[in-house]
Amino acid sequence: MKTIYLVSLLLTLATLGQAQDNPDATSTIRQELESAARVATVMVDGDVCQKIVTPLAKEYMFKVDPHDEWLAGDNYDVDDVSFNITKKTLIRLSHLTSFPSDVNLWLPIDGHPGKIEMVIRNKNEMSQFWRWGDLYQDMTPQMETVLKTGQRVTVLGRPGWISVLAPVYNSLGDIVGLIEAVSREKMDAHENVK
Amino acid sequence: MRRFHWRVFFLLLGLFPGRCRAAASLEALPEFLRPDPFGGIVAPDLGGTRLRSGLYDARHRVALQGWRGGYASFQLVVKSPAPAEYSLEVSLDDPTHSIKTDLFREWFHFIDADKHYFPDALVPIHAPYRSRLPDPDNKIDQQTAQAFWVDVYVPPDTKPGILAGKARLRCGASTVTVPLQLTVLDRVIPAEDVVTIDHNSYGSSFLAEQYGTAYHSYSGNWFESDQFFRLIHAYHQIFYEHRGIMHQLGYGHSGKVGPEFAPVLAGTGRTRHVADWTLFDRHYASLLDGTAFASSRRGPRPIPFVYLPINPEWPASYEFWGEPGYEAEFVNVLSEMERHFREKGWTHTNFEVFFNHKKRYMGFPWDGDEVRFPKDLNYFLEYGHLLKKALPTDSPVHFVMRADVSWDMEQQFKVLKGVVTLWCASGGILSFYRDAPKTLRDRGDVVWYYGGPPNVTQNAAAITEYPLRAWLWGVNGYVHWLTVAPGEDPWFHFDGGGTVLVYSGDRFGLTEPIPSIRLKIQRNCLQDIAVLDSFKNREPLESLRTEAAHRFNNSVLDDWWNPRPPLADIPSDQWEGSAIDTAMEHTNKALAPPGVSAWYNVHQYALQLTRGAK
Repeated sequence: MKTIYLVSLLLTLATLGQAQDNPDATSTIRQELESAARVATVMVDGDVCQKIVTPLAKEYMFKVDPHDEWLAGDNYDVDDVSFNITKKTLIRLSHLTSFPSDVNLWLPIDGHPGKIEMVIRNKNEMSQFWRWGDLYQDMTPQMETVLKTGQRVTVLGRPGWISVLAPVYNSLGDIVGLIEAVSREKMDAHENVK
Repeated sequence: MRRFHWRVFFLLLGLFPGRCRAAASLEALPEFLRPDPFGGIVAPDLGGTRLRSGLYDARHRVALQGWRGGYASFQLVVKSPAPAEYSLEVSLDDPTHSIKTDLFREWFHFIDADKHYFPDALVPIHAPYRSRLPDPDNKIDQQTAQAFWVDVYVPPDTKPGILAGKARLRCGASTVTVPLQLTVLDRVIPAEDVVTIDHNSYGSSFLAEQYGTAYHSYSGNWFESDQFFRLIHAYHQIFYEHRGIMHQLGYGHSGKVGPEFAPVLAGTGRTRHVADWTLFDRHYASLLDGTAFASSRRGPRPIPFVYLPINPEWPASYEFWGEPGYEAEFVNVLSEMERHFREKGWTHTNFEVFFNHKKRYMGFPWDGDEVRFPKDLNYFLEYGHLLKKALPTDSPVHFVMRADVSWDMEQQFKVLKGVVTLWCASGGILSFYRDAPKTLRDRGDVVWYYGGPPNVTQNAAAITEYPLRAWLWGVNGYVHWLTVAPGEDPWFHFDGGGTVLVYSGDRFGLTEPIPSIRLKIQRNCLQDIAVLDSFKNREPLESLRTEAAHRFNNSVLDDWWNPRPPLADIPSDQWEGSAIDTAMEHTNKALAPPGVSAWYNVHQYALQLTRGAK
């Protein structure tokens, strides 16, 4: 608990203290991402999102076999109808900004508190949080805040990067995931082209 | 007083690492015996000591035999038990000066995991080469031996015969000479390989990382500079010169396309079109018309295969997937590409529509690479339909859909017949389906299998197993999945080289890649296979393959295939990875690991056939 508190404190200080190259540009990016994230909370259908990752994928996600290094990844599967509906919405949400941005979908994993999965990425391949290639990872304190409180959180963790995290609701009113609306001051045309 | 004088003497010796205080020596080694920096042979190659005597003739000359249109290779090792300056040169008495001798200094990589040194990167040098031991650059404590790779290139129009030559080491006042004799054989190595060896890579950011000197000293956008494009071309050139091809994938798993891999697009829906070909053409024009290879010894030739940037997010936006707008965007741009390529005369290259993404990377809901779930094949069928709409049936431009297949390959061969025509198959799983290569090739498809380069800690002949297997199986080629990633510090903390076959020349002041011993051995192996295959007019291909397999590792052709396992009869999405390993037990048991002499024996067979033909 103490560790989480300290990490949160450091991240908050880093967020507040982040020197940006161009404050005007940063402010514009931030405003537009926050606006897109607000709309995302309204437009992204949490019930559909919950159908994306298949039961098979969930069953294998945490399995480890010393004789099969790729067991979890090889069994990763999605329901393509739900995936496509949601991805198309996310792409359209990214059009709300006047600069290149991505709107990514993250979902917590049932039965594994503190773990979260990137479920949909988009064409600029940007995220402040995704560890390339990982099926799941530890939830950051900011993600936890969004999922617990429903508040939007703006994260300026990496220099020049801005992410706005916003909740995704299902028809029961439960927060079932979050979106990451993300961009950066200087685009890197070659990053993640691999 | 006397003691004082001796101290000064030794001090001076230490300060000025000598002209040549102790007897230096020069030794020649065959290509498969890699030296270590202390005068020995690296442990994995020790089993091939009889190869050493095979390099010399009865008069103790280094006896090389070279077919025309190719290379003969050996190594030289300068040894000195004490620090010494030296110079080295190699010469051939070739009155026409057409035969070329290329010299390379071998870099000794320290392998952290193994705690030993292995030579692999080859630094081009010019004769006479002057340096000292220990090598000041390689920085190996107590180094007493420096190795050099020698490539002798025999042009196709060289007159057959015997040439004399020598390697000469000068160290202080002493000179050591090793006599050479090159026999130029009558036979010309076929220019076309029967096995295509592909060297794969991803994106271009590795170039900025590995050529920091050029990248950081450039004031503008380096990725649009002439230097950048020259560097890309240099990678193609080095692989081509070594009888290989190169692929460079230009997009990421979520569809992000590197600017130099695709034309700039504008518009949306029915108005989507190509707005600018500039960067694309700067990247590809000389590769596709062959002029990038104008100075190659193999002659200019268009690259035979190239990835297109096409992916689910390019040229059509995935926002419109399944809607008329997706088809409109896809068909508009593909039609423009076909027209552009046709107008440029780029009709000798296979333009690959290839989907590399996997759903585990969260970009798209289906696997383009290594389909496991059969439902994903519907996407391939849809793209086949879109391609048909976009491309004129009588186009001289060759668009091919490529699929990299493993789990579900047997189904894909059936379901995607006529849609996918270039197959890149997991070698392990393809070994279950002995009839597949012939079936696919008979209908006009191209079949490769894939794997990765062997680590330098395996014996020197290990890399020859991949091309040999392709030839024995009757497939068209083999793909090294990654060949340009040397790890964080290949020079002093090497990871073993399982993802690299060429290194950055940046450390040596070169803005181009440098080759490796493994690449050279692979090239020489491909020469041999081309020669062996050329005898199929005189002997049945099956008997050529049978004898080559026997000489390689005492195997028979059946040993290279696995019986079709029961696993193959259940849907691929129910397979377990560990069960695949079990299904490969037959080949694992039947095929003895090739000894370091394995390819030498096959080479001797090719020479024997050559002598017989004469």
